Amino acid sequence: MKRSAIIAATALGALVAAGCGSSGTTGGGSASGTTKSCVATVGMEGPLTGPVAFLGQEQLHFAQLARVSDNLRNKTKITIVQGDTQLTPSIATTVTQQFTSNNKIVAVVGPAGSQEVEAVGPLMARAGLAFISGSATNASLTTGKYPTFFRTVSEDSVQGPQDANYIVSNLHPKALMIVDDQEAYSTGLVSQMVPIFTAAGIKVDHESVSQKVTDFSALVAKVTPATTVVVLPWQVAANAQQFGKDLAQQHKNAVIFGTDGLYDTTHFTIPGSYVSSFGPDINGIPADVAIAAAAKAKYGTFGTFGPPTYAATHVVDQAIASVCKSGQTPSRANVLAAIKNTNEATTILGQPIKFDSHGALVNGKFFLFKINSSSKYQLIPS
Amino acid sequence: MAFFLQELVNGLTTGALYALVALGFTMVYGVLKLLNFAHGDLYMVGAYVGFFVIQWFGGPSHVSIPVPLLLVIMFVLAALLVGGLGVAMERFAYRPLRDAPRIAPLITAIGVSFFLENSAQLLFGAQPRIYNTSEFISLSSGIQIGSVTIDSVQIMVLVLAVLLTVGLRYLVNRTALGRQMRAVAADREAAEMLGINVNFTIAATFFIGGALAGVAGVMGGLLFNQVTPTIGFIAGLKAFTAAVVGGIGSIPGAVLGGLLIGVAESFITGYISSTYSNLLVFLLLIAVMLVRPSGLLGRVQLQKV
Repeated sequence: MKRSAIIAATALGALVAAGCGSSGTTGGGSASGTTKSCVATVGMEGPLTGPVAFLGQEQLHFAQLARVSDNLRNKTKITIVQGDTQLTPSIATTVTQQFTSNNKIVAVVGPAGSQEVEAVGPLMARAGLAFISGSATNASLTTGKYPTFFRTVSEDSVQGPQDANYIVSNLHPKALMIVDDQEAYSTGLVSQMVPIFTAAGIKVDHESVSQKVTDFSALVAKVTPATTVVVLPWQVAANAQQFGKDLAQQHKNAVIFGTDGLYDTTHFTIPGSYVSSFGPDINGIPADVAIAAAAKAKYGTFGTFGPPTYAATHVVDQAIASVCKSGQTPSRANVLAAIKNTNEATTILGQPIKFDSHGALVNGKFFLFKINSSSKYQLIPS
Repeated sequence: MAFFLQELVNGLTTGALYALVALGFTMVYGVLKLLNFAHGDLYMVGAYVGFFVIQWFGGPSHVSIPVPLLLVIMFVLAALLVGGLGVAMERFAYRPLRDAPRIAPLITAIGVSFFLENSAQLLFGAQPRIYNTSEFISLSSGIQIGSVTIDSVQIMVLVLAVLLTVGLRYLVNRTALGRQMRAVAADREAAEMLGINVNFTIAATFFIGGALAGVAGVMGGLLFNQVTPTIGFIAGLKAFTAAVVGGIGSIPGAVLGGLLIGVAESFITGYISSTYSNLLVFLLLIAVMLVRPSGLLGRVQLQKV
């Protein structure tokens, strides 16, 4: 315990010294070296309990890492208020109402799910509160209907076609099964992919199971010998692992192609499977070594949900610092304006962060991995 | 035909799990007229107990004792610990409210459910814990009939579920404790006047119900490979439905209800679509309830006036 605390402290020190692995401008100027006392509160919405709490906890951990390193680097005093949304729009709405009525909160990191953003978007807009999600990818969110919304990940309209075209061109299935998990994220991706499969002449069996279900034996029995690919745009990696075990148990040879939540080197390890992810594996980015080490030492292994939330928190922190540097007191209005001007050249994600006029990440990309025979994730070059 | 048989086996296995959890639901309702919504969370705790036993004996890929012995320890320990948790639940959460209006223990049960769920997250973390059953029980073990696969875990679940149900039937119908339980269920005050230790009988009911849920939790872990703090919700919901459809308070009814739901889910997923599985299963169950409001094997309660 003591040893891991020392490792965490050392790694955190290195992280700060490395300038968080990012540089750039926010709000029109460098945020580093804020001298005036700069105090602000940021809300953090995520599924901290419930079926996908492991994702929310990872997001919270990375938000806290970003806050600590940014506070040290920018000499700010930013605190985070946690809000547990359980990936449920109605709960996210309640949390958001609490945040919007708390005048100390100048921006929000999260929520995680697209369906939650749909629910809280109007409330955030009415309160003039900027909110940045590190995982909400539904394309419709950045069409301008939520003027205070931003995201540090790319969108389904990029991922869906990219993944579907890869499957058609490289895996050549005659028939495939695609199973949504009844969440907006998953159904959104499915609706992007199915037309491409159908147009390619592939027989598609579209199925649907709740995220809470862990028994897939009946569904796997439907996988025919001609079905060589099963697409699982899910958020719970352990469920996909079970699906893979059920395939093996029933002697089915279909390859699993998963998305985002399935990027989990501990819980999804079926050799031969593919995973596309909005987040990179930061262990493979040299500039992120210190952050990865700090995260591992303090919180253990992590997937791809944490880093985009780190980036989101960092954007908010830099915006607050730049407001302070310009001699103003952070408020919702000036932090929102500073976030709009974000232009981070290098970030934890290994790609620049800049938002278009609707809050979408400019030139965002997705990353495709294949799990090799040793159950290791290997990046497939784009 | 092979597809039909495969779906039947899958459905019976899942249904057997529902049935075991439903038995606890129905027993507690029979004795206390309490819908114990925290009962599904006992299933979750049982699954965690099984997981930690595997870890204790070296982890799934390096089990340090013979696998049959490991399984016995998992089941026995889960039954004892979860049964004990059931007794504690009754003692501290429900007994003080025994004479309160029926809504009070109902709300308490929901509170206990959240307490167990959040305690599990606090103690064990939100990350799924993985059984990795195939590391110590080969996927190729079991029976292969044509293209129908019945693996050894499925066989074990089915056999154990049958044995436990038969054992429970024997306990309730042929033993002194069973007679006491039936007496308390029929009229608690009269049973007390006859010298039956009502507190002990109710505690024993919670112990047996909890033990069955604990065993079902280990079975669920072995079958579905993962345990999270929230797995009790679905298990509890399905078990509650099974108990109601079978006729709440009826032991054979709970088993029949569990198997019916498991098989219906499996066939609807296989022959129609998983998309409409819950919708069609519950439509079917509504139809059953319309025809037999007291459940398939439930008895109509006569009201004395």
